[in-house]
Amino acid sequence: MTTRLTRRTFLTTTVAGAAVVGFPLTPRAQAKTFKIGAVHPVTGPLAEPGQACRLGAQMAVEAVNAAGGIKSKGGMKLELIVGDTQTKPENGRVEAERVVTQGAQMLLGSFDSGSTAAMVSVAQQRRVPFLVDIAAADPITANVAKSVKEGQQKVQYVYRNFPTGSSFGRKAVQYFTEIFAEAKVTPKRVVLMYCNDLFGQNQSRGFLAAYKAAKPAWTLLEEDVIAWPEPPSDLSTEVSKAKSLKPDVIAPITRPASAQLLLPEIRKQRLDILGIVGPGSPGFYEAGQIAILKEDVEYAMVSNPWANFKNPKTNQVAEEYKKRSNGKTFDTNSGYSYDAILVAADVLERAASLDDPDGIVEALRKTSFGGGLMQYAGPVVFNELGDNPNAVTTMTQILGQKAVAVWPKEAALQKFVFPRPKA
Amino acid sequence: MKWATGLAVAVLLALPAVLSGYAVTIFVLIFFYAFLAQAWNIVGGYAGQLSAGHAAFVGIGGYTAALLFERGVTPWIGMFVGGALAAVLGAIVGYLGFRFGLRGFYFVLLTVAFAEICRILATNIDAVGGAVGLYITFTGNPRQFQFQDQRAYYYIALVLMLLATGVAALIERRRFGIYLTAIREDETACEALGVDVLRYKLLAMIVSSFLAGLGGTFYAFQNFSLQPGAVFGIPLSVEIVIRPIIGGAGTLLGPILGSFILTPLGELSRSYFGQSGLHGAHLIVYGVLLVTVVLFMPQGAYPFLKQLFKRA
Amino acid sequence: MAVGLTLIFGVMRVVNFAHGDMMVWGMYLAFVFATRLGVDPYLSFPVCAAALFLLGVVVQRGLVDPIIAAPHEMQILLMLGVALVLENTALLVFGPEPARVRSPLARLTWDVGPLYVDVARLVTFAVAVVLTLALSLFLFRTDLGRLIRASADNHYGALVIGADVRRIYATAFGIGAACVGAAGALVSPILPFQPPTGLSLSVTSFNIVIIGGMGSLVGAFIGGLLVSVAESLGAVFLRPSLKELFSFSLLIIILLFRPAGLFGKRQS
Repeated sequence: MTTRLTRRTFLTTTVAGAAVVGFPLTPRAQAKTFKIGAVHPVTGPLAEPGQACRLGAQMAVEAVNAAGGIKSKGGMKLELIVGDTQTKPENGRVEAERVVTQGAQMLLGSFDSGSTAAMVSVAQQRRVPFLVDIAAADPITANVAKSVKEGQQKVQYVYRNFPTGSSFGRKAVQYFTEIFAEAKVTPKRVVLMYCNDLFGQNQSRGFLAAYKAAKPAWTLLEEDVIAWPEPPSDLSTEVSKAKSLKPDVIAPITRPASAQLLLPEIRKQRLDILGIVGPGSPGFYEAGQIAILKEDVEYAMVSNPWANFKNPKTNQVAEEYKKRSNGKTFDTNSGYSYDAILVAADVLERAASLDDPDGIVEALRKTSFGGGLMQYAGPVVFNELGDNPNAVTTMTQILGQKAVAVWPKEAALQKFVFPRPKA
Repeated sequence: MKWATGLAVAVLLALPAVLSGYAVTIFVLIFFYAFLAQAWNIVGGYAGQLSAGHAAFVGIGGYTAALLFERGVTPWIGMFVGGALAAVLGAIVGYLGFRFGLRGFYFVLLTVAFAEICRILATNIDAVGGAVGLYITFTGNPRQFQFQDQRAYYYIALVLMLLATGVAALIERRRFGIYLTAIREDETACEALGVDVLRYKLLAMIVSSFLAGLGGTFYAFQNFSLQPGAVFGIPLSVEIVIRPIIGGAGTLLGPILGSFILTPLGELSRSYFGQSGLHGAHLIVYGVLLVTVVLFMPQGAYPFLKQLFKRA
Repeated sequence: MAVGLTLIFGVMRVVNFAHGDMMVWGMYLAFVFATRLGVDPYLSFPVCAAALFLLGVVVQRGLVDPIIAAPHEMQILLMLGVALVLENTALLVFGPEPARVRSPLARLTWDVGPLYVDVARLVTFAVAVVLTLALSLFLFRTDLGRLIRASADNHYGALVIGADVRRIYATAFGIGAACVGAAGALVSPILPFQPPTGLSLSVTSFNIVIIGGMGSLVGAFIGGLLVSVAESLGAVFLRPSLKELFSFSLLIIILLFRPAGLFGKRQS
């Protein structure tokens, strides 16, 4: 008898729970808005960039609405429904489902490639256009394109406005070559060091592959690449290993935590190098990082997606971002999320009807948008894989304790300094 | 009792028709984690051998199926291969642990060490994707264990949960289960009585890890990506272990109840707190709840409720 | 760090999963002292230790004590819950970015012949040795210390002789937490830390304590040395990214062949 009672209670609880969950909190807005679901890791190990992304997107939505919303659709305002993946890949799917259930007609996200891949399935299953703002892993879009090509899926709903892992590598090698040529130096012992997590491995693979393909004048020690588990508690062994290779340039791929260990260690062990030139990673340019690393990061160069600070609008937004984020730099993460909203707004202006996802996709494919705040090699367009080939990286250098763009020439705000001055 | 179960199952079968997409996803999570929890329950609850490294089995199952899928093998078969490989690892860990007489906390550490080793290996071996992990192409093709409609996952997860519960129920009723309980309560006495303790514990471990391995395939083909940190990591093992413990380890309904409590709680607190910008607040709630349950319902929710209703 | 954990386990058989997260709070406290009050962590660590002592006592009295007799799983879960709360409160209060404390000492290196010695690490090592010695003196020479060891060895015996076991447990837990608070402060200039760092610190602590032997101070100390050396060797001879593999493999071997650890006593 007791077991039966427990089962019945169990049942009622289930149904009650289902009722609660089945009817989620409705948004407060009364007027009809176009809802965009922005899913980022705002808690967990990737909380810092995730929070930056969310703030960037929020600011962009406010800017678009202040300028009149989607003018061709009667000034319809955008509304952001935010989601948190907690830096766990499976939550990408759950949060995407939740925001779609709450009315999101477009998806944005989600910084780390794992949860982004999980969101892809939701986008394809529920036919919701998904603009990836950050997340470099090539398969995210390439796999969907393949599916469509093979006829397994009818429409590709996933697009990305961000450099892919392979383009990161290609651009990095290109900049290395150009900068070394301009400085009339040909390093013969470039040592690649990277953090052995998803990001670091992806980046280093792209870089190595691009190097092999380009066969530049300078030499990277391909057999002597050094990796460390991220986050590291100590990098002295790794740096002494690097030192034993007699490097003339160190090419690091770091995360903020490892950068804090690596750069001082390079100084402590008195590595005699021409400079630190990174193929692309966080950890060097953020205001907080510079404040902690001080002289150790001066003259370090890193090739990252970067905001176009020659554009006055960018500077305005950067100022506002600094205020609202307690002093953080407007960078890759906040910037690309911001731009993603701008691109989305442009797409919605051109879409025939906001209620037809395939129509939105059509408008998306025809995008040629020049109003982005980031550094591009041309207008935002989408190729047959769904990526933006014009999303590129910029080589920045820490000069005077600030990160400035130094290469390519059209993006440069200052001239680069290489080799770095002797200590 | 039989018809109560039948009624419950019937209700669960009918639910997708009335639930929103998001709710369906929540249920999928509840069932899936209940399934993993029940798998753990067999060796952790009934046999009393705490394993904090069950994520390793899930990971192996998932990776195997994903790698086979890349080579054209359908996940429906890959699932069982993955489960088998997971069972092999389970046998190894079990054998080492039990043969060398590791009990309690020491066995826990052994399982954690194995899981971490799997994770580190997976992160560093390029052939299995390294830290980047594996990405599965979304095709929506049922033959490839993918579905255009989320509801299909709901039913599969439900079947998995019922399957694991069925296995547990079977074990509970037969001699095997009785032996396990005896071993859990007093292993030394069992040995003195001549029971082949090693064999039974090992068997429980193999069954448990096989089921967990099956779960790995489900995970892989629901999330379309596998990262070593996520599938082999401690957080997943914690999720697996928490549910039976909160719900009642060693009981049939414990893991299910635990999942029904914890998963919606996690989701609700995350969506509620996540919105207001109080980052991390929901995990604090999670932690506080853990502490509360441990302090006031140490046997788990299910036995607690059972007691409550006995008095009612 | 490991010494603290071994003390807690040795005395109360409580597995403190929140160990790493307590250490992170020690680090954050040192950070606050350094940034707000300008106090160098090498000076502020006693205060951090004291603060964490209090935290330890509170946690023990309030949460652990009621379930001291409960099965192990419960204690593990309890401390896990505490860990979650600690980690995410830190996240709320301090934000997710990695932080590190700047100390002038941390930037120095000594040249000793062909070797470079990192002054900061040397100082940390020296202080750790001193603290461990002080702790063993306390445990072996003072009355309270002897009581703690007695309760560890024989719970009922201690009760029989009228020892206030609850107070002893609280003190032991507090001391364990204090160790970790000091460790956190001392390490804060060397190791960048974020709220999630707690988990990896906990895992390392457990690794060390098992290898060295649960309940043995010497073991914890030697274990700590062993694990670091093993990892560094691993980094040199294998790929550095596999260095954790070394310590885990060592853990498994010890577990199988000498579960009491190198210096531990056999569990009854």
